[in-house]
Amino acid sequence: MFEQVILASECDVANEVICAPADVKELFELPTVFHIGQLAVSRTMILIFLAAFIVVALLYFGLRKGSVIPSKFQAVIESLVQFVRKDVAEDIIGPEGVRYAPYLTAMFLFLLVGNLFEITPLINFPITARMAIPAFLAIVTYVIFVFVGFHKNGFRYLTDIIWPKAVPLALRWLVGIIELFSTFILRPLTLAVRLFANLVAGHLMLTLLLGSGVIFIWNFAEAGAKSLVGVAWFAFGLGIFLFEIVVAVLQAYIFTLLSAVYIQSSVHPEH
Amino acid sequence: MLYAMSTVLILAETEAEEGSNIGLVLPDPYELVAGIIAFAIVFFFVWKWAFPAINRSLESRQQAISGQLKEAETAKLEAQSLLDDYRAQLATAKSEADRIVEEARAQGDAVRADLVSKSEAEASQIVAKARVDAANEKARALQEARQEVADLSIDLAEKVVGENLDRAAQHGLIERYLADLERMA
Repeated sequence: MFEQVILASECDVANEVICAPADVKELFELPTVFHIGQLAVSRTMILIFLAAFIVVALLYFGLRKGSVIPSKFQAVIESLVQFVRKDVAEDIIGPEGVRYAPYLTAMFLFLLVGNLFEITPLINFPITARMAIPAFLAIVTYVIFVFVGFHKNGFRYLTDIIWPKAVPLALRWLVGIIELFSTFILRPLTLAVRLFANLVAGHLMLTLLLGSGVIFIWNFAEAGAKSLVGVAWFAFGLGIFLFEIVVAVLQAYIFTLLSAVYIQSSVHPEH
Repeated sequence: MLYAMSTVLILAETEAEEGSNIGLVLPDPYELVAGIIAFAIVFFFVWKWAFPAINRSLESRQQAISGQLKEAETAKLEAQSLLDDYRAQLATAKSEADRIVEEARAQGDAVRADLVSKSEAEASQIVAKARVDAANEKARALQEARQEVADLSIDLAEKVVGENLDRAAQHGLIERYLADLERMA
C-alpha cells in the first residue's frame, strides 16, 4: 500500500514504461508508524505482531469449544494443526516427532499468515520478505538439529558426516567435505534464503505490476495511449497475484517440511 | 555467538545506511527482536494451549465414537437375540400347530372308526332281531296252520262220520300225525 504511494509520487508516466522507485529499498523498508520512547516502531514490526495475533486468534477461536461434532471453522483449524502434527512432524521424524510438533506447528502457521500478508488487501506486505523471521527460524531449526544430532549420537554425529561409511573409500573424503559444508553451512542459509527470496520476488512483482497498472490507468490523461500498458501490467499482476497465493502456502510448507527433514536426519542419522 | 551476530548486524546496518543494498538481505535488528517475541508468543500458545485443547477434543471425539460403536454393537447383539427368540417361538408354534392338527386327525379317525363299528353293531343287531322275529312269526303261522288243519280235518271227519267226535282226542291224534309227517319230511 505504502509502496504504491511511493511509486505514484515518483513515477513519470509520460517517459517510463513501468514505475519503479529510485531505490528498491523503499519497497521493503517500511516507514515508522509511531515511537515508543526512543524505539521507532515500523509498519513491518506491527505486521509481525499482527501475524502472531492472527495465529493465536485463529487457534483460540477454532479450538476453544472443542466440540465433539466440530463446526466448519473448528474442523479447518483442527485439520491445519493435525496436518503439521501428523503429516509433517510424525510422518517425517517418526514417533519422536511429537516433541518437535509444537515448534513446527507454530512455525507453519506463523509463516503461513506472514506469507499470506503478501496478498492480503490493505496489508500487501509479507513479513517474510524481510530477513529477520526467515533467519531467526532457520537459526532455531539449525540449533535444534545440531543439538539433537550431538545429543542423540554424541561425537559420532560429526564423524559420520565427515567420514560416511556407506560411501566408497576413494570418494569418502570428498563426500565428507561436501556433507559437512552442506549440513552446517548450506542448510540454514538455503532454508532462510529460499523463503526470503521467494517472498521478496513475489512482493516486488506484485508491487511493480499492480502499482504501475493502477498509476498508468489512473493518469491516462498524461500517459495517453500508454495507459493500455497499464492495463497489461495490471492483468499480468492479477495472474501473479493468484500464483503468489500458491507460493505463500507452498513456501510456508517447504520451510516447515525441510526443518522436519533436518531434525529427522539428526534423530536417525543413518538414513 | 549472539554478540557476534548482533555486531555483524550493526555493521551491516551502517553499511546499508551508506547506500549499499546489503541491508536488504540481512535481518533488521528491531524486526528480529519483534519476530522473536511474536514467534515466542505463537510457540508458547501452540505448545501450552492449542495442543492440549486439540488433544482434549480429539480424545472426547474418540470416546464418543467408541461409545457409539459399543452401543451399536450391543443393539446389534440385542436385535440378534430377539430375532433368535422370535425364530425359536415361531418354530415352537409351528410344531405345536402340527401336533394339534395331527391330534385332531387322530381324533377324527377314532371317532369315525367308533361310529362305523357302532353302526355295524346296530345293523347286525337289527338283522338278528329281524331274523328272530321272522322265525317266531313263521313258528306261530305254522302253529296256527296246524291248528287250522286239525280243526278242518275234525270237521270233515265229523261230516263224514255224522257225529261229534271227541275233539281233544282227535286233536292229539292229528298232532301226532303231523309230527310224524314232519319227522318223515
